[in-house]
Amino acid sequence: MTADGLRTDAVLRVRDLRVAYAGNQAVAVDALDVAPGEIVGVIGANGAGKSTLVNALAGWSRGAPRVAGDIALDGRRIDDRPTHERVRAGLLLVPEGRLVFSRMTVEDNLSTAFAPLAAPGRRVYAREEIYQLFPRLRERSGHLGAQLSGGERQMLGIGRALMLGPKLLLLDEPSIGLAPMLVSQVLQTMRALARSGLSILLVEQNVRAAMEVVDRLLVLERGRVTLEGPAGALRDDPRIARAYLGAHAA
Amino acid sequence: MNLAQQLVNGIVLGHAYALVAIGWTVLLGVARLVNFGHGQLYMLGAFVTWWAVTRAGVPYGLALPLAMAVGAAFGLLMQRIMLRATFEQNLVSIMIMTLGFGYVLHGAAALVFGSTGQILETALSTRDIDLGPLWLTWQDAAIVVATVAVFLALGWTLERTRVGRLVRMVAEDPQLAQLAGIDVRRVYYGVFAFEGAAVAFAAGMVAPRTPILTSMGFEEVIMTFVVVVVGGIGSVRGSYFAGVGLGIFTALFGALVSPAYTTAAAFLMLIALLVLRPGGLSTGAAGGAH
Repeated sequence: MTADGLRTDAVLRVRDLRVAYAGNQAVAVDALDVAPGEIVGVIGANGAGKSTLVNALAGWSRGAPRVAGDIALDGRRIDDRPTHERVRAGLLLVPEGRLVFSRMTVEDNLSTAFAPLAAPGRRVYAREEIYQLFPRLRERSGHLGAQLSGGERQMLGIGRALMLGPKLLLLDEPSIGLAPMLVSQVLQTMRALARSGLSILLVEQNVRAAMEVVDRLLVLERGRVTLEGPAGALRDDPRIARAYLGAHAA
Repeated sequence: MNLAQQLVNGIVLGHAYALVAIGWTVLLGVARLVNFGHGQLYMLGAFVTWWAVTRAGVPYGLALPLAMAVGAAFGLLMQRIMLRATFEQNLVSIMIMTLGFGYVLHGAAALVFGSTGQILETALSTRDIDLGPLWLTWQDAAIVVATVAVFLALGWTLERTRVGRLVRMVAEDPQLAQLAGIDVRRVYYGVFAFEGAAVAFAAGMVAPRTPILTSMGFEEVIMTFVVVVVGGIGSVRGSYFAGVGLGIFTALFGALVSPAYTTAAAFLMLIALLVLRPGGLSTGAAGGAH
């Protein structure tokens, strides 16, 4: 798979992805790779197609989009597989919005449908490790999902994903509705997870916070990648500053 | 007239109602599906048990699992046909398909088993328990014991086991369940197989109380519907109490007022209850959730 000269060790490799709703193209991404231990940020305005992109990667949607293109996880094509099989292969989506079972306790929310095998690049977290990572969840373990705050739900969603042994974690707006301190706490946890080898694709509207933890950044506009590069270089890019960080153009 | 005897009759009848309804309770609670062929699956379960016992000479204790296997197979077949409508939650389409399936089953059963009434006798149904002035058959006692056991086992499975937790995830949010790695389709198949097996088991237990006919099923589906709705759509605990309550009400009303109007009276109660408590007796948390 080196014919196109791209790195072959990518955990996620996407080519020519097209997503359309009722004939209207919502996403057109020609190439997207995520390397082991890398955090790639996806930013863009509302309706730019960020959620549509990660949902399509997971083969998941509350609507019924048409998805075409190559999606490979660890070099294996998964684009023809149903959602739960992609999950079992190690592609875990923590969606935006409803991400916990509200009529089940925190403890029950953390029960898993299958026992993934740990492998190089695939760490399977035990419930105890989730509670160490997010001590708040231990305190709330007997509470129902419906009783949790936004931050606790986010931790629970991420916790469940970690227990399913992700090779790649897709996070859709984890900072939404969270207090600023909690945002940085969740994102710093993501940084620590990436350091231990987990790859993360992070969709964020909070660009300033995202900039602190991502290695690489993609800017999505009307479903297309309009800007891409290392976070360090893009931080000072006037186009980013103007459009997403609220700075005034000189 | 003996009031205590009527109470005993009502308790037995109520457990029979609850047992017959349990498959649909799970069906509705987990998959939000209805099955208007439920009554004909009951009829099928009764006739398979009858056939096994009287024609094939299989002992009653083995005829029951046989009937359950046949019921489960029909459940799987129905779900296979309706899978698409299930995922689209197309209830109207599912209603018509299950109703149609019931009529097909009725016709086929009449061809195979004939349309004359039969008696399903078991070793338990022909022996009585005399408790002073009170009287019931061993079959009646077995119905009560089996119903309590099945409800306890189901509640325990849903609350305490891994499979139960996964089923509850699908019940609450099938789409989020997919992201938890659950093969939702398999759960839907499993639930319909359970519905078929459970109603066949109930038929094998309850049918010895009355003569069986291939045309029966209407009464069973209506009573099941009442039990499930009064219990609070899909609530396991609620269904148990609704079933027992309905049985006692039916028996006492029949004895004290008139047996001719019990069904009408039961529905009057149902309508009144739905006006006062639209969610049924149990509004929420219990068992299989909504």
